[in-house]
Amino acid sequence: MKLTTKQLTLCGILTTLALALSVAENQIPLSLAIPIPGIKLGLANIVTVFALYVLGPAQAVLILLARCLLGAVFAGNMNALLFSLMGGFAAMGVMILLSRLRGLSVYGVSIGGAAAHNCGQIAAAVLSLGNTAPLYYLPILLGVSLLTGALTGLMAACLFRALAHTDLMKG
Amino acid sequence: MTLRSWRKVGTPMNTSPKLRPGLWDALVVLVVAALAVSCGWTVWDGQDRGTELTAVVSVDGAETERLPLKEAAGTERTIHAGGYTLRLRLTETEIWVESADCPTQDCVHTGHISRGGQSIVCLPARVIIQLEGGERVDTGVDAVIG
Ligand SMILES: [Zn+2]
Repeated sequence: MKLTTKQLTLCGILTTLALALSVAENQIPLSLAIPIPGIKLGLANIVTVFALYVLGPAQAVLILLARCLLGAVFAGNMNALLFSLMGGFAAMGVMILLSRLRGLSVYGVSIGGAAAHNCGQIAAAVLSLGNTAPLYYLPILLGVSLLTGALTGLMAACLFRALAHTDLMKG
Repeated sequence: MTLRSWRKVGTPMNTSPKLRPGLWDALVVLVVAALAVSCGWTVWDGQDRGTELTAVVSVDGAETERLPLKEAAGTERTIHAGGYTLRLRLTETEIWVESADCPTQDCVHTGHISRGGQSIVCLPARVIIQLEGGERVDTGVDAVIG
């Protein structure tokens, strides 16, 4: 894949945004309900939704990779890398598939992505700990993904609506 | 860079995304909710009931110690793993990590756990303390949702 300067710039901006969202969601005390270090809400998925629709899967994957790697470097925590990679790519895969279904809006795509994100994170926890104890928190996380998915869907819908006037969305 | 110039940037979209939720989105919600409930049944119903609440300590994925809370109540345990030291405290109904020298301190911040299925995880030390047995776990769901 060859990227133009503009594409590279946009990818850079979106990666920065995703990183900022990852850092911001660290402030949410999710650990009170789910005491598994490394598990995140997945607000950065909003960037994946946006990139998927506007830039296509290839560049969305690039942005996701950069976000996971840089996020692990900034946090100085390689444990977090497996969680963000498995969560991020599970969400990416499901959202690529769902976004091809004509009947689904950004809400359905985002909720499906959020659920996959949390399944991926629990899988990462089970793998890295070599213990099935984290599975206990999967039902809670799936319930939570309905909320985070609806939230990222709402944010994406607002974003797309705002950008519709710039004729970005008319392709 | 103006927004207008963005349209040249990406792969053009065949169709603009649907922005209003519809029936198909409700189906996705239903599928995820059904998944959550069926996971809840399998995972939470799988817990032993009516047995004594027991803390199972695992290091690096392998079980190292079983501590029935009734017998071990009031005692303190020290776990050495992965170059770190965790100090556990137990009562008849709860277990918690009193202190640890791991860099993240997640295990300490988790606080007290008291229901079968709950766990305390220390990633740096690769230690899991999981509770087994005890009463019905349904109350745990209420506590999280409510
Ligand atoms: Zn710890």
